Amino acid sequence: MSQAEAKVFQPHIERRQKVGALWKLVFLLATLVGIVALAALLLTVINDSFGLVALQFEVAPASLGRDGRPLERLEPKELREILTARLSSGLIRRLESEQPLAERSRQQLYELVMERVARLQVIESWSLGESLLKRGQIRNWLQQNHPQALLKFRSWVSWRFLVQPQASVPEKAGVLTALLGSLWMILITVAVAFPLGVGAAIYLEEYARENLFTRILQVNIYNLAGVPSIIYGILGLAVFVRLLERLTSGALFRIGDPATANGRTILSAGLTLAALVLPLIIINSQEAIRAVPQSLRYSSYALGGTKWQTIWHHVLPASFDRILTGTILAVSRAIGETAPLVVVGASTFVTQHPTSIFSKFTTLPIQIYQWTARPQAEFRNVAAAAIIVLLVLLLAMNTAAILLRDRISRQRREG
Amino acid sequence: MEKVAVAAVLLLAAGSLLSAQSSKKGFEWVTRQSDDPLLPGVNSLKVTGGIISAGSSTVYPLSERMVERFKDEGYQGSITVDSIGSGAGLERFCVAGETDVANASRAIKSSEVESARKIGREPLEFRIGTDALAVAVNKSNTFITNANKEELRLIFSTARKWSDVNPAWPKQDILRFIPGTDSGTFDYFVEELFGKKKEPILGAANLQLSEDDNVLVQGVEGSPYAIGFFGYAYFQENKDKLKVLSINGVAPSAETVNKATYPLARPLFLYSSAKIMREKPQVAAFLAFYLTYVNEEIRSVGYFPAEAEALKKAKQNWLDAMKGAY
Amino acid sequence: MQKKLRLGELVIQLTLLLFGVLSILITAGIVLTLGEESLRFFASGEISIWKFLTAAKWQPAIGEYGILPLASATLMTSLIAMLIAAPLGLFVAVYLSQYATPRVRAVLKPILEILAGIPTVVYGYFALTFITPLLRLVFGENVVSIYNTASAGIAIGILILPLIASMSEDALGAVPRSLKEAAFALGATKLETSLSVVVPAGISGVAAAFIVGLSRAIGETMIVALAAGAGSALTANPFRSAETMTGYIVRISGGDLGYDTVDYNSIFAIGIVLFLITLALNIVSRRIVRRFREVYE
Repeated sequence: MSQAEAKVFQPHIERRQKVGALWKLVFLLATLVGIVALAALLLTVINDSFGLVALQFEVAPASLGRDGRPLERLEPKELREILTARLSSGLIRRLESEQPLAERSRQQLYELVMERVARLQVIESWSLGESLLKRGQIRNWLQQNHPQALLKFRSWVSWRFLVQPQASVPEKAGVLTALLGSLWMILITVAVAFPLGVGAAIYLEEYARENLFTRILQVNIYNLAGVPSIIYGILGLAVFVRLLERLTSGALFRIGDPATANGRTILSAGLTLAALVLPLIIINSQEAIRAVPQSLRYSSYALGGTKWQTIWHHVLPASFDRILTGTILAVSRAIGETAPLVVVGASTFVTQHPTSIFSKFTTLPIQIYQWTARPQAEFRNVAAAAIIVLLVLLLAMNTAAILLRDRISRQRREG
Repeated sequence: MEKVAVAAVLLLAAGSLLSAQSSKKGFEWVTRQSDDPLLPGVNSLKVTGGIISAGSSTVYPLSERMVERFKDEGYQGSITVDSIGSGAGLERFCVAGETDVANASRAIKSSEVESARKIGREPLEFRIGTDALAVAVNKSNTFITNANKEELRLIFSTARKWSDVNPAWPKQDILRFIPGTDSGTFDYFVEELFGKKKEPILGAANLQLSEDDNVLVQGVEGSPYAIGFFGYAYFQENKDKLKVLSINGVAPSAETVNKATYPLARPLFLYSSAKIMREKPQVAAFLAFYLTYVNEEIRSVGYFPAEAEALKKAKQNWLDAMKGAY
Repeated sequence: MQKKLRLGELVIQLTLLLFGVLSILITAGIVLTLGEESLRFFASGEISIWKFLTAAKWQPAIGEYGILPLASATLMTSLIAMLIAAPLGLFVAVYLSQYATPRVRAVLKPILEILAGIPTVVYGYFALTFITPLLRLVFGENVVSIYNTASAGIAIGILILPLIASMSEDALGAVPRSLKEAAFALGATKLETSLSVVVPAGISGVAAAFIVGLSRAIGETMIVALAAGAGSALTANPFRSAETMTGYIVRISGGDLGYDTVDYNSIFAIGIVLFLITLALNIVSRRIVRRFREVYE
C-alpha cells in the first residue's frame, strides 16, 4: 500500500478500532450486570439474616425478685413457687413429666423462669446494613420508645434455627420440619426418576431403531423438558393426589388413619417432582451415553459380549460420571421447586416431622414462600435465614457432584 | 356368709380398681381435675394420634396458637393446620372428608351441611371467639377515619377515586385489597354490605384478591390510597403501619365487640362431628383443650372472646357429643 | 452365525422400552387432565371459547371468564424479562466466546451457573425485598405500587439471563474457526467479525436460545406470585400490579380445589392455554435450529 492510500485508510482503521474497543466494553459490562445481580441478591439475603434486635422481657425479671433479693438469688423453693403460680397446670404437668421440679437445680429452675416467665422477646429487628451504619440512630430511637429493651446483635441463621420446628413467632421459628420434608421428598424423587430416566436413555441410545416411534418418543421428551413446572403440579394434583389417592394416602397399605386419609403426602410430592425431572435426566443421560466412543462398544462385542453386558459393564461405567452430575443438577432443580408443591398441597403449618412417606409435609422452598409473604419485618429475617440454608444445601450438593465426578473419572482413568 | 362377704369385698375392690383405670382406649387423657367448670381436664401428654384441620385464614393465627400450646403442654402427635379460606376448609370437611376439624369465620351453609351428611358426617358447631373485622388503611392516610355503611359500599364497589365518595377526599384512585372468594371474611363482608350479590365488589376497579391476609396487609401498607379488610388479628400485628377505621362512628375494641355495638363483629367457629370425635379421641381432646383455654390466648392473638353464652353452648355441644364415650 | 435370542436380553430391552414409553404416559396424562377438565369447563355452557380468549375481565366468581387480563400480565412480565435478558445474554455470550481468555471464562462461567441454579422462590424474595423498594425509591412511591409487574419482570430477566447466555455461547462457539480466521484475514476487527460473521452464523442457536428463554419466562410462577400482585388487571403500566396466568393458578391452588367448582375448572382452562403456548414455542425453537442451522463440512 502506498503512503497516500495508507493515509486514506488510517482514520477509518482508528475509528473501527475505537468502536471495537467500545463494544468490547459493552460486552464486558453485560457480563458484569450478571455478576452485580448475583451480588445484589446475595447481599440482600445476608443483609436480612444478620442484624441488631431489640429484646425486651415480657415480665421484667426485676419484678420477680422477693424481699429485696433479685431473681438470681432466690431459693429453689421460691423459684418453684413462681413457676407454679405463673405457668398453666398443663405446662407444669409436662415439665414434671420430663424431670420433677423438685429435682431440678437452682440454675435449672432459674433458666426455666427466665425462659418461660420472663420471656425475652424480639420487639424490633434491623438489617445488617442498618445495624452497621445507623447504630447511633437505632440506639436513640430505642431509648425513646422502649427504654427497657436490650440491643443485641443476632444471627438469624443459627444452630437453633436449623433444629427447631415451625412456630408462629418468628424468633422461635426453625426449619427442621421443612428440611426433613425436603429430604424425604427428594429421596423419593431420585429413587423413582433415576432408574426410570437412565433406563429410558439407555433404550433410546442403545436399542431404539431409527423409526417414527423413536422420533416421537424423543420429541416428546424434549417437549416435556420445556413444560412449566406448575403444569406438573396440576398433573400431580389430578393423578397422584386425586386419582391414585388410595395409593398415595397409604390407605392401600392400611397406614395412616382411614377417616381423613388424603393424597396430599410426601409420596405425591415426590412422584410429581419425579415426573418433572424425568425428561431432564433422560436428556442428560442420553448425551452422556452418546459421548462414549463406539470403539469401546465394538471391542466388547468383539470379545463376545452381549448387548446388555456391554452396556452394563462398559458403557454405563464410562458415562456414569456425567450421568451422576446431570442427576444431581436435576435434583438441585427439584429441591428448589415451589409451585408444583403448592398445587399438590404442602401444608401451611405442620407440627411433626415426617414419619413415613404418607405423612403430610412442608418443604424448605414452601417455607420460604410463606415467610416471605408475611409482612412483619422479623419474618423477612427468618425467610432470609432459610434462604441461606437452602443455598448452602444446593452449594453442598453441587460441590459434591463435581467432586464425585472428578473422583469417578479419575478412578476410571487409573483403573 | 363370711365367704360371700369376702367375695363381695373382693368384687367391689376389683370393680373400683377396674373403674379407676376404666378410661377407655384412647381416652387416657381425660383427667378429673379440670380448669373448666363444664369440660373434663385434658392431659396433653397422654393424647396420641394425628389431627388434621384446615380452613379460615382469619381463624388460622388462633388455631396456630392453640396448637402450639397443646404441643407445649406435652402433645407429641402430628397436627396440621392449613390456611386456605373458610370455603375451602369446609369443602375439605364436608365434601372430600379430608379433615377432622374445619376452621371458619362464617357459619356453615345449609348446602355444606347437606354435603356433609352425604358422606356420613353431622357437622357440630363450636363457637370459639369473635372477630372485629378491621377495615384498614395506611397509617399515613389522614383523610379518612370513619366510614358509614353507605360510604363503605361505594368505596368497595362503584367509586373509582376517593373523591367520588366524598368530595373532600383526594382525587386519587382507590386501591382495594380484599380477601379472595374462598374466604369467610369475603362472604361475611359481602353479605353485610351487599346482601348476597358479589358483582358490585368483584366488579370494582383496582381490585386485588388473596386468600392470604398477609398479602392484603402488605398491599395496604404499600400506598396511602389503599384500603382493605381482614381479621382484626392481622391489623393488631401490624399496628405500626396500619390504621383501622371506625364504622358508623364505632371503633373496634373489646368493649364495642362485647356490647355488640361494632357493626362488623362476627363469630369464629370450629366445625367437627360427633362421629369423628368419638372415633378419634385425640380430636375430642384437642377441642376440649381449645374450648378450655381459648379465652386465655385470644386477646393476645388479636381477637375477642365469644359471648359467655355462646362459648357455654359450644362446651355443651362437646359434652353431648361425647356422652358415655369415656 | 444366527443371532441367538437370549431371553434375558429381551426382557431387559422390553423393560427399558417401557421406561421410555413412560414419558409418553406423562404427556398423555398432562393432555388428558388438562383437556378433560377444560372440556367440562367449556361444555358447561357458561363460557364459550371465543369469549374466553377475548373477553377483558377475569372474575370467575361472578361469571366473567376473559383470559385477556391474565395473558396480558404474562406478556408484560415476559417482555420486560426478555428486554433485559436477550440483549444482555447475547452480549455475554459474545464476550465469553470471542473475547474472554480461558482464565476469565473459568471464573465467569461458574458464576453464571450459580445464577441459573438459584431457586425461583429466592428470586421472588429478591424482587419483593430489593427490586420493588429500589423502583419505589427511583420512581416514587406513588408511581410504583408495592406489587408490580416491572419488579417481577426484572427478576425473571435475571433468572433467564444465564440460560440465554449459555445456549447462545454454545451456538457461537460452534462456529468454525475457519470462518473467523477468514474474516480476520480480510482485515476485520474482532467486533466486526463477531457481529458480522459469527453471530449470523450461529443465529439459529441464538434464536433458539431466545425462544427457550421466553418460554421459561412465560411459565415462571413463584416470582410473579410473590411480587406481581393478586388481582387481575388489564393494564399497560408495568408499575401496577397485575396477576399472570401462572400467578392465578398458584393463588387458587393455595386455597383449595373442590371438584366441579368454578375456580377448579378455570385452572385447567388456563393451564391448557399455558401448556399450548410453551409447547408451541419449544417446537418453533427446535424448528428454527433445524431449518436455519448452517451446516459446515
